[in-house]
Amino acid sequence: MNAPTKQYQILFVDDDPDFLAMIQDFFDTLGEKIWQIHCATSADQALELLKARNLDLVVTDVNMPMLDGIQFLHILNRSYPDLKKAVITANATEEKRSACLAEGAELFIEKPRSPEGLKSIFIMLEELITWTPQEGFQGLLRRVGLQDVIQMECLGRTSSILEIHNLQLRGRIYIEDGRIIHAQAGDLAGEAAFYKLLALASGEFQLQPFEPPSKRTIEGQWEFLLMEAARVHDETTAAAAAAGVVPPRGPAPTVESSMAVPDLRPRVEETLICSGNGDPLYVWQCPDRYARTALLQDVAQRAAFFCQLMPLGNFDRLEIQIAGSRVVAQAGADRMVFVRVSSPTEKSTT
Amino acid sequence: MSSASQEWLAPGTTVPGLLACGLRLPDATCLSYSFDEMYPREHWEQILQQLAEAVALLAGQGLAPRRLTWTFEQGQIFLIPRADGALLAMVTQPNTEAAENVEQLAEEFFSLNPGN
Repeated sequence: MNAPTKQYQILFVDDDPDFLAMIQDFFDTLGEKIWQIHCATSADQALELLKARNLDLVVTDVNMPMLDGIQFLHILNRSYPDLKKAVITANATEEKRSACLAEGAELFIEKPRSPEGLKSIFIMLEELITWTPQEGFQGLLRRVGLQDVIQMECLGRTSSILEIHNLQLRGRIYIEDGRIIHAQAGDLAGEAAFYKLLALASGEFQLQPFEPPSKRTIEGQWEFLLMEAARVHDETTAAAAAAGVVPPRGPAPTVESSMAVPDLRPRVEETLICSGNGDPLYVWQCPDRYARTALLQDVAQRAAFFCQLMPLGNFDRLEIQIAGSRVVAQAGADRMVFVRVSSPTEKSTT
Repeated sequence: MSSASQEWLAPGTTVPGLLACGLRLPDATCLSYSFDEMYPREHWEQILQQLAEAVALLAGQGLAPRRLTWTFEQGQIFLIPRADGALLAMVTQPNTEAAENVEQLAEEFFSLNPGN
């Protein structure tokens, strides 16, 4: 006995009922009962259908009254991030194509003018609907640092092991459900190992499937751990330079002693992570999220202006030392981060 | 701009890795130096103006800074505001003597009397 064939639920959204009727007739025939076609003449109607049905693919027009296709895709992308999305439009321009792809559409197709064209679209949509994303980590990362990968894993609340190595050192960072739970590097374990790995000047890293470590040595928040790693690296470099030696790439000795006095350790007091557009992704103890977002956008604009005037290269971060606290602001095209950490041991400098 | 400010800023700041530096006094007058033709004074003074605005913006959000460090791939901009509103700013190549002398320059800046 054959296993039942999966029936795909596909929604077409277009304000032209004649086009929808044609699609329904044609694709019902081509789909051979494997495709179940649903139609909506507006984005509102489509959203109602999405609430009622578990759909596999939405195919939308761009030019629609009230809520156009690009806005509709934006909503879909936020509310149904795993839903496959395609666009069919009679007025295909490069600008619309870019906008639709940026809003999560996997396909952007011009409306067909012949039955052959409809058949081509059917084949493309069938390819899209039967494509299954592979599990795991694939592809090449260029110009992406270890910190970026850790941030992505933590923000995505995934579980993985980061294997890091160079000629001198080999280590692992364990991330479980977006929390950094253990690190080991040579003979070191815990935060000291984490800082040592993050301070490596060069090397390679790979993401491996998660396996529980034999012990859990780290409990801090990942935002703090990354900031502390940056601070340790800066201090080590400065101390080495003051001593007239080549800066070592490892944790400063003071880190372990400071960890023995928990009350004096900095702690994260405020965190905001948002998309490059300012949409909040993670907000914690922000007194005014909107003001902080505006601040990050201002930082991004000023940094871009500085880069126009001087050959500074890409902007990495702004560090703000204030009384009793330290802020790190990162403002990239795809993500902006604001983290404020208390500095209970900070000496007054004014 | 006082002669003391000029004297302090000019000779003491030509350390390896320092690309440009400048003082902006509370009355918005500026004294700036460029030590690399890729970092011209006119551009640096525009940046000084932007930095002063950023300090005001941060203060408005309860983040009155003691120090700002803008880190880029190929340079760092340091800004040290003084309580009277004067600002010291430097752009340095990363990991250079200049970048590591910021603390010392800041201390001297804080002890400087702009009225001299």
